[in-house]
Amino acid sequence: MRRVLVPGLLACCAALVLAATSCAPGGGKTPGGSAKGGATARNIVIWEQMDPEERARFEANLEVFKQSHPGVTIQHTPYETEQLRTQFQTAATAGGGPDLIFGPSDQVGPLSILNTIVPLDQTLEQGFFDRFVPGSLDTLNGHLYAAPDQVGNHLVLCFDRRLVPRAPATTAEFIATAKRLTRPGRYGFAMNTTEPYWLVPFLGGFGGWVMDAQARPTLDTPAMVQALAFLKSLRDQHKVMPRESDYMTAETMFKEGKAAMIVNGPWSWSGYRKAGVDLGVAPIFRLPNGQWARPMVASKGYSINVNVPKDRLPLVVELLSFLTSPAAELRSVRDLSILPSSRDAYRDSTLLGDPTLAASRQAIEKGGRMPVVPEMRVIWDVMRPEMQSVMNGVKTPAQAAKDMQRAAVTQIAGMKQ
Amino acid sequence: MLRAPRAFPYRLLLPAVVAMLAVVLFPLLYNFYLAFRNMSLYHYADHRFVGLTQFRQLFSQPILYVLFGKSLLWTALNLFFHVAIGLFLAILLTGPIKGRAFYRTVFILPWAMPQYISALTWRGMFNYEYGAVNLILQRLHLPAVPWLTDQVWAFLAPVIVNIWLGFPFMMIVCLGALSAIPRDLYEAADLDGANAWQKFRNVTWPQILPVLTPAVLLGTIWTFNNMVVIWLVSQGGQPADQTHIMVSYIYKVAFTYYRYSYAAAFSVIVFLILLGFVLFTLRRAAPLEART
Amino acid sequence: MTGAGRARRRMVGVLKHAFLALFALATVYPILQIVAVSLRPADRLYSTSLALIPKDATLRAYHAILFEKDFLLWMRNSFVVSLAVTLLGVTLASTAAYAFSRFRFPGWREGLYSFLLTQLFPPTMLMLPLYVLMRALHLLDTFTGLAVAYTATALPFCVWTMRGYYDTIPVELEQAALIDGCGPWAAFTRVTLPLAAPALAITALFSFMAAWSEYPVARIIIHRQELYTLPLGLESLAGVFQTEWANYAAGSLFVCVPVMALFVVLNRWLVSGLALGGVKG
Repeated sequence: MRRVLVPGLLACCAALVLAATSCAPGGGKTPGGSAKGGATARNIVIWEQMDPEERARFEANLEVFKQSHPGVTIQHTPYETEQLRTQFQTAATAGGGPDLIFGPSDQVGPLSILNTIVPLDQTLEQGFFDRFVPGSLDTLNGHLYAAPDQVGNHLVLCFDRRLVPRAPATTAEFIATAKRLTRPGRYGFAMNTTEPYWLVPFLGGFGGWVMDAQARPTLDTPAMVQALAFLKSLRDQHKVMPRESDYMTAETMFKEGKAAMIVNGPWSWSGYRKAGVDLGVAPIFRLPNGQWARPMVASKGYSINVNVPKDRLPLVVELLSFLTSPAAELRSVRDLSILPSSRDAYRDSTLLGDPTLAASRQAIEKGGRMPVVPEMRVIWDVMRPEMQSVMNGVKTPAQAAKDMQRAAVTQIAGMKQ
Repeated sequence: MLRAPRAFPYRLLLPAVVAMLAVVLFPLLYNFYLAFRNMSLYHYADHRFVGLTQFRQLFSQPILYVLFGKSLLWTALNLFFHVAIGLFLAILLTGPIKGRAFYRTVFILPWAMPQYISALTWRGMFNYEYGAVNLILQRLHLPAVPWLTDQVWAFLAPVIVNIWLGFPFMMIVCLGALSAIPRDLYEAADLDGANAWQKFRNVTWPQILPVLTPAVLLGTIWTFNNMVVIWLVSQGGQPADQTHIMVSYIYKVAFTYYRYSYAAAFSVIVFLILLGFVLFTLRRAAPLEART
Repeated sequence: MTGAGRARRRMVGVLKHAFLALFALATVYPILQIVAVSLRPADRLYSTSLALIPKDATLRAYHAILFEKDFLLWMRNSFVVSLAVTLLGVTLASTAAYAFSRFRFPGWREGLYSFLLTQLFPPTMLMLPLYVLMRALHLLDTFTGLAVAYTATALPFCVWTMRGYYDTIPVELEQAALIDGCGPWAAFTRVTLPLAAPALAITALFSFMAAWSEYPVARIIIHRQELYTLPLGLESLAGVFQTEWANYAAGSLFVCVPVMALFVVLNRWLVSGLALGGVKG
């Protein structure tokens, strides 16, 4: 028995390994979406990362599309941002995955390098991209990999109008307002001080940025030192911020009326209104050097999987085109506070008349595009600990800036090995 | 030893072995293969054999040793409290005591709760100014603790959370193990006039060891390889990447920096460390044939 | 017994209860926080007050999770998978462990060790090859794929625990049965297995939990919404920054209920077995 069994088992596992390696990443490419049901020409699979309200609008748009395309079925699967990217990477490099992937613009960096999404400028008809606001598009190595349905994700100053009747426009006004409103049980201001995304508006306002046009990190600059010192002074010198505030804490305080102002993005606004805040938004004030703070602006959009079979591609393109049309982008745009990427929708009167959206547009115009190259992930990753060290009093701003730059250079070199 | 046809034990084993081989073997071998190549974002499809390059790089960086120390500390603290609390509760709840079923059910709650929400709730409870932990400490006239920003406390915070999450499992294992002890052994010990500690030392402990050993062994391995709690409570290594252990760092290099081969090589090192631990334990501390 | 001895016993009893009550409170407190989250309107995960029942408490989230989300579908899917894994886990582990406990055969030590070895590799790195494997076997988006993967993760613990438990059961019982004319299979199923009830209970609970709220493997294998298990469903309530925390908390509490129910059922088995004095030499 034993003589048969052991070689038998060995053969078994050898066969398994063989079967599996034959379609290892980079190996054979078989068309199709998920194992079952995804393979027909009339069924489209989309993986997406959306906030819940955004998803409701998306589903409404899909219904409209399905009505005009009888027989077409669309499956969509929600993912959290990091999961979306890693799962898509895994699936698409193994030859599978959905037809469309919807997510933040910076995911196209790694996904395009891994050859998992197609260059849209070569796939879609000539002139397709003329419909978009120029500021909503990101080029990577001369190609466009995503068709955006919105532009934004930018940080602004949010305030409770019952406490702050008019948005402060300068640092001096901001500090005076915040000090006036700080008292036992309440702070004038709260902000996520653990994520570098919240540091960037100040970095940009002081004249710096995270990288240059060649994607080389530019973190050890006077602007970085000033930005870090400025944030720290709000808490330690002016005492208008709580000692520890990460995203959730700042958000809770603002919702509970324990912070009068907060820096946050469009995704948060409807939640604040629901919590009973009389919400006002404005671009983040001018910094002590007289320049407006410069938040990052990014879009979210659709990319097409390289594994989409030829016979389904036209339908996928049609859907993508519909989802980025003015009609689809303007649906419930005021409730969502999302600014559309389409040129016609962006100029639509619905938007111009809404004070929140108008302020949001002003803030976008003061912002800078977020780089979509993969190096950006390293930059976030090295800025985060140094920023926290400054806020925790472990490092001086100058030291932190120097350490950030050094770590960024090392890590990018490691990544490119 | 039981006598039976020679094939009988193999027949008993076959289904389990097939299930294991089907799922575990290929992923394992694939990683060993990757560890000797240079797969990364820029060499995803065209990776090639690079020998020991990844390992050489790993051993030349101090981070490997620092993380190893932290992983050890993390595992030791967790396991000690998991077993101590689990065993203590199990002993209390094995004897006749009022509300036994109620307590048993309450203590299993942390295990039943999805970890994601528990970990994030705990993070909220650790906030310096508003968190429940510090508010309670202050009511007891104790100083507030910077749970999330000081690097020592920020390491202990996830440990506390993981102890909370992990003791129910050990308690259940201990409950099962205790139920295997024949009552007459205690009666015999009573006749000899043994006190509570002597009964524990001479009856309980040797009797539960066969069941407890695998739980402790695997508990150690799982804790060493568990990054979920530390990742969620420290929000990916806060403050300042000071709260990483080996596996959370592996996750980061693989999925933030796309350095798959480097991460695979690191994982192979973890595998070897744990292999050493398992072999040592089973040869020296708790031999397999302890009782045959 | 002397009066002093009785007084001391009572003291110990009081201390025991005081300890249990305090420890229970500390155990439950974080859970109560989650209950509080589920009662808060406007998705506030954190609160700045110690109050467990917020002033503006509402049961809206419970209604939403049961009637507006596909929660019941997720629960059904999780049930199907978990029950399959429990059955598979208990069956495969009880047989394999029996072989390891009662027999010595060539490959005995290697076999037992290799069950442990599968657990040593950091699981995050196993996900990518697992996807490749599942795709090659056409098991993506199937419960079979999920159940097989979970069984494989649960087996090493189950096999080792069962083996340890069998080792504590005197082999003389089966030898007697064999002499009485039982076959080895009958000796195993009729004599040993019933005595191993506590270990079977642990194995069942553990196998169930390995599947019930497992996330990473489910995320790799399941991509269709109608096949979502509980953790995948709960994830869909979460945005990057904007998460339906109240619904999430309410859902998580519902996730607990079947586990607790299963435990209450299995709890009976955790006190049976040899401790009741069923075996005398």
